[in-house]
Amino acid sequence: MERIATTVRLNRSVLQFDDAAQARLEQYLAESASLLEGDPDPQEILADLEQAVADQCMRRLRPGQTVVTLAELVPALEEIGSVQAPGQGPASPSSATMREASPPSWSLRQVSQGAVISGVCLGLARYFRLDVTLLRVISVLLLLGTGGAMVLVYLGLMLLLPYAPLEAGGPPVRWLPAKCRAFMEYLRAKLGIDRPGRIPA
Amino acid sequence: MAAESKLAPIRKGLLEFLVLKIVGAKSVYVPDILRHLAGTEFATQEGTLYPLLSKLRREDLVQYEWKESDAGPPRKYYRLTDTGRAQLAALDDYWNLINRTIANFGH
Repeated sequence: MERIATTVRLNRSVLQFDDAAQARLEQYLAESASLLEGDPDPQEILADLEQAVADQCMRRLRPGQTVVTLAELVPALEEIGSVQAPGQGPASPSSATMREASPPSWSLRQVSQGAVISGVCLGLARYFRLDVTLLRVISVLLLLGTGGAMVLVYLGLMLLLPYAPLEAGGPPVRWLPAKCRAFMEYLRAKLGIDRPGRIPA
Repeated sequence: MAAESKLAPIRKGLLEFLVLKIVGAKSVYVPDILRHLAGTEFATQEGTLYPLLSKLRREDLVQYEWKESDAGPPRKYYRLTDTGRAQLAALDDYWNLINRTIANFGH
């Protein structure tokens, strides 16, 4: 009987895994990658974990054994344990926990991180402690109900509301909010709205 | 146990302090750190330690260098940076202060 094995490169080590062990390994690495979502440097940690798996498996191979099976991999993964993000709570807080964690005195600002267009709704939601989805739905209804006049209101707020400072570890700024922000900052400079939020004299 | 749910976050918060202490004592690689912590209340696993070390490195508290090993691939040896050393000293002082405060209450 011949057992078919796959050669797997784990960071700096190369090992042979049988099918079952390889499937379990892939599952563990995929889980780790998803647990590290939001970490600024997941590649480094994943490389370290791969090396740990390789070292642990090699230590467990019997003399003469060349293929890693579940008998070695399962206790190895148990010893390594699943990925735990350090200190600062879950990697991607839900909107509810984000609101709780916010300081009580939010001033009215645009929030670029996690925004869809420019962060006006997100800023209003934080200020009034409302669900951002609810505010977005209301905005769309107003847009339809006012025959588009809502666009002007939104543009006005975009131009005048200051931006909330970017939070480290917060959600990323998407493409459109980044473009809006860059354009508004350009426009403000052009119009002489040097201090955001103040109307030029 | 009710107390356990209150103790777990304390341990979690102090793990970083302990890792700084271990790395501060001498240049170590991850299995050394695990060995130091094993058998204490702070016993932990590589799955916890690597993300923590990555965070400490980003905060410029630790740095590592590659060293050849007799068996297997080169290993990462961690040591404190100057910033790390300063922060460890500050944490140590604060820890002593807290200890005194706690000891002085209830007497």
